[in-house]
Amino acid sequence: MDQSSSFEGQLVALLPRLRRFAHALSRDPADADDLTQATIERALRSKGRWEPGTRLDSWCYRIMRNLWIDTARARSRKTAREAPEEAGLNVGEDPRPGIEAAVDLRRVMAAMELLPDEQREVVALILVEGFGYREVSEMLGLPIGTVSSRLVRGRTALLAMVGEA
Amino acid sequence: MNDDEKFFAWLDGELGPAEAAEMEARVAADPALKRIADHHRALGSQLRSAFDPIAEAPVPERLQAALRPTAQVIDFGAARRARSMPAVAQWTTMAATLAIGIFLGTRVPQESSAPVRVEAGKLYAAASLNHALDTELASAPTGDVRIGVTYRDSAGEICRTFVAPAGSGLACRNSGRWQMKGLFAAPEGQGNDYRMAAGMDPNLAALVDSTMAGAPFDATEEKTAKAKGWK
Repeated sequence: MDQSSSFEGQLVALLPRLRRFAHALSRDPADADDLTQATIERALRSKGRWEPGTRLDSWCYRIMRNLWIDTARARSRKTAREAPEEAGLNVGEDPRPGIEAAVDLRRVMAAMELLPDEQREVVALILVEGFGYREVSEMLGLPIGTVSSRLVRGRTALLAMVGEA
Repeated sequence: MNDDEKFFAWLDGELGPAEAAEMEARVAADPALKRIADHHRALGSQLRSAFDPIAEAPVPERLQAALRPTAQVIDFGAARRARSMPAVAQWTTMAATLAIGIFLGTRVPQESSAPVRVEAGKLYAAASLNHALDTELASAPTGDVRIGVTYRDSAGEICRTFVAPAGSGLACRNSGRWQMKGLFAAPEGQGNDYRMAAGMDPNLAALVDSTMAGAPFDATEEKTAKAKGWK
C-alpha cells in the first residue's frame, strides 16, 4: 500500500481542509491548530472504527466538530469566570487572508465570528467546505430540516452584517 | 421546507429537477428575488475567498509530525508498513542524537559503576546498563533498567531500546558490545516515573523507526536472541 492511499496518507491530504474548518469553528489560528491536532490524534486512535469505503473527510469533520463542542463547553465555563472582555476584540484586524486582504474578506470573516456556533458550523460546512445538506445532517446527527433552517438564519444574518453591496 | 428554505436549497443545488425548475421560473419573474439570489451567491464566494487561504497555506510542521511514525510508538511494525519517515526528520533526530552523544562524551565519569563508557570516541553500555541489555527480557522485567523493543537494524545488528530512571536510549550489538546509538534524558521531574510515562521518547521512537529493518522481535525471538548471545 503506498503512502497516499494509507489511512495516514489520506489524513495528511485532509489537513489543509481540516485546518480551514477548525478556523471557522474556533475563530482563532492557534486554537484552530490545537483543534486540528486533537482531531488527527483522535482519528489515529479510532482508526479501527472508520469503515473503509466510507468518506474519511466526513468522519474527520465529525470528530473535529464533536471535539470542538467539548472544548467550547469547557471553555465557556472558564471564560464566564475569568475574562468577559474578549468578545469584541476579534472583530478588528485579522492577518489571515494575507497582505492583499480585501476589506470585504475581513468583514465576512468578522461576521462569521459573530454568528452563533450552531449556525456558523452549518454555514462553514455547506458554503465553505462544500458538503451537501444530507451529508451535513448525517455528520452532525441533525434532521435535514434543522440543518436547512440554521443555514437560512446563518447566511441571512451574515449578509445583513456584511452589507448587500 | 418553507419558502425561504426552498429558495436557498435551490441556490445550493439541493432541489430535485421539478422543484428546481419551478423555483428557477419564480426567481426569473421576480427582480427582487433575483437580487437576493445574486447577493447570496456573492456572499458564498466571499466566504470561500476568505477561508480558502487557510487551506492553501502551508500546514504547520507539528500537525504533519503527528502523522509520522514517531506518533505511533505502540506498533512499530504497522507504522513502518504504513509509511517511511522523511529524510529531514531522520537527520534532525541523528543530529539530536549526536549532540547528546558528544555532550555525554565530554563528561561521562570514568567510574566502574557508570552506565556508559567511552572507548576510541565511541559510547558503549557499561555496568548495570550493559548487564540489563545482556540479560533483561521485555517480557520479564526485573531491574531498574527496562527493555523496550528488540530488533535487527539494516546492518543486521541486534538493537534494543531501554528505559532507565535517568533517561532512555538505543544500543546496538557491535563486536560483542552494546554500542550506544542514542541517549535521551528523561523530561525534568519525571526521572523516576518511567513506569508511568505515556510512551517512548519521540526522539527515540524516531531513531528506532529510522533504523529498524523488518519487525520488532516477539517474546520468543527475544529469548532466542539472548540464548545466542545477541548475534
